[in-house]
Amino acid sequence: MNTNKVKGIIKRELKDKLFAKSFIIMTLLIPGIIILSIGIQAWVNSYEEESASKALIVSEIPGLTNELKEEFNQDKSIKAKDYIISYDEMSKADFEINIKKLKPLLLDESLNAIIFIPKTALKNKELIYYSKNPKNRALKSKLGSVINNVLVAKYFSGRELNKKDIAFAKKSIDFNSMKVSAEKIQEEGLGPEILSFGFTFLLYMGLMLSGTLILRSVIEEKSNRIVEVLLSSVSSSDLMIGKIIGASITSLAQMFIWLVPVIIIFSTSWFMLPVKFTFSISIWEWLYFFLNFLIGIVTFLGLFAAVGAIFDNDQDAQSGLWPLMMLIMIPFFIALSVGNNPSNSLAVWTSVLPFSSIIVMPARMTLVDVPVYQFVISIIVNLATLIVIFPVAGKIYRIGILMTGKKPTWKEVAGWVKLKS
Amino acid sequence: MHPLRIKNLTKNFGELRAVNHISFDVPESSIFGLIGRNGAGKTTTIRMLMNIYLPDEGEIIFRGNKITPKFKDYVGYLPEERGLYKKMSVIDTLLFFAEIKGKSGSDVRRKAYEYLERFELLERASSKIQDLSKGNQQKIQFISTILHDPDFIILDEPFSGLDPINTELLKDIILEMKEKNKVIILSTHLMDYAEKLCDHIAMIDHGNLILHGNLEEIKKRFSEGKITVIHEGDISFINQLPYVQKVADFGNRTEIKVNDSHHTQDLLKTLVERNVIINKFSANETSLHEIFVELAENNGSEQLKGEF
Repeated sequence: MNTNKVKGIIKRELKDKLFAKSFIIMTLLIPGIIILSIGIQAWVNSYEEESASKALIVSEIPGLTNELKEEFNQDKSIKAKDYIISYDEMSKADFEINIKKLKPLLLDESLNAIIFIPKTALKNKELIYYSKNPKNRALKSKLGSVINNVLVAKYFSGRELNKKDIAFAKKSIDFNSMKVSAEKIQEEGLGPEILSFGFTFLLYMGLMLSGTLILRSVIEEKSNRIVEVLLSSVSSSDLMIGKIIGASITSLAQMFIWLVPVIIIFSTSWFMLPVKFTFSISIWEWLYFFLNFLIGIVTFLGLFAAVGAIFDNDQDAQSGLWPLMMLIMIPFFIALSVGNNPSNSLAVWTSVLPFSSIIVMPARMTLVDVPVYQFVISIIVNLATLIVIFPVAGKIYRIGILMTGKKPTWKEVAGWVKLKS
Repeated sequence: MHPLRIKNLTKNFGELRAVNHISFDVPESSIFGLIGRNGAGKTTTIRMLMNIYLPDEGEIIFRGNKITPKFKDYVGYLPEERGLYKKMSVIDTLLFFAEIKGKSGSDVRRKAYEYLERFELLERASSKIQDLSKGNQQKIQFISTILHDPDFIILDEPFSGLDPINTELLKDIILEMKEKNKVIILSTHLMDYAEKLCDHIAMIDHGNLILHGNLEEIKKRFSEGKITVIHEGDISFINQLPYVQKVADFGNRTEIKVNDSHHTQDLLKTLVERNVIINKFSANETSLHEIFVELAENNGSEQLKGEF
């Protein structure tokens, strides 16, 4: 390797990428996109009909309507959401006649739901729900929980229970999550989940952005024939190494820019954050994160550069791009699902397997204490992958970059790998 | 001793033999023309000369030594197609290409500005390449080829895209470099340029060297017995003459090949006797273009090799 020449290539890459306007804009834009996507998700989950929901509750149980009225009037979220609820009391036979009359109201949506509470509900809590759209879970669960409270109270009234007992019976379970680690036991808030999501997203974006950037730059050099001039000065290995080092530095710098504010906000007391949003990550885990990212980025840059070298233009390159996209996207989705149970076998295996561990392990380590040996395995696996992949990618790059004209088949590319250099 | 010697160079791509046992020498202080059609094997030969491809057989000797990767620092290569980064500035482009040749610092910068001035591009030094016209981009490409003061220069179609004034300027600089004892290889399919500039040529077709040597000698050899007549009236009777080998009739201009150069006089005499009005009669003259067409047609059946 000719270090001076490689340095020249690296310098140009940095000038072209790290100090480019588009890099600065993208780097600043991506955290905004993450925050926006978390926001959208939260908003979609909590979304309910904007106009007031109208429901009619018909009870067969004598006197229940008053208790229902009282309970609904007390419920804060029902009041806040502007539900319009009317109550009626009639026998099952009467109701069955009436429902036919009420049908048009449901159809033209002047009523969203009719709930019938039969007498038997005091034994089996089975109600009947009539609606044009019985799948509306938000409305069903909201009304259902209030009705449940009324039924519980009714069930126990007249028995030898005081209000306190009834209040206890009405209350549903509330978990207070405690995270147990080797050092301590502490209350677990939303912080680790947000961080896990953030890591997943940043790793995904980091790999994708730098991968497509190097792909485009290789294709540009190939299609503009710059590569001929470059290769009359440097060897193809030096060129590839220089480009990958340049792109890796750019990518690491980007990750730093993204994460340094996070580190400052969460690890210092400069900003007072609610306990709910705090998390703890050791310095070793941060080091692991960046080392893991560095190995990942170099591996993927090698692969993206090789794919770029195979094709003459962006359009043709799409066919070579999707296998690489899959290698990033599948781990991305696994990492997103790791939140459900970070210790199941899928999460454990994918956090030590080649390619997937690059994204899954950082997401997992924020949620549970990962044993040290698993970190070590993941680093060794990723390094081994890099050592196997790099010479192959290098060979494809060296041969592909000088091939122009016909789009090569995968069989031909496989043939290049077998060629003696 | 010749500064550049190419010995038995061969390159295969799978089943295809792109270059087949090519040997030629490039003499000192000369412009050497590498001539051939597209796909003849010129680019592969050039890539081997620049150490981009390793030959399967044969070797390249530059000033007595077999070429090594270090050789790249002494080569300046002007590709046929413009190979520049569109978004880079002119001066950054020049300094970058010099740097990867191992030359950097204030000397190179000063020289870069000198060349820009000579090519009337000084005020465009900080413009982006994409904002320059094609001709100006070609000039930048040329400056980047010679800025590091290479000993061995390969120019692939250097004049394409240049206006007549800049073509002259480029020609002057090429001749200047020739005087400085640089080895210059001019690769082209335009025979006119090759004929005007080159002292020696090598002609490649289908991966084979079909001709090489001193251009004057080659022309002399191929022009023997070749006659061009510009005339009025029909001269088809010459087909019957025993000493006429070949006739190519272009209407008023006819190209004739006779068996031996002393038959030239016989032919002229016959034409005068038959009252043909002759506007021009030139003997023992041929162009590189004609030689190329003739050889390319015959390639495969016969291989001709000249000597220095």
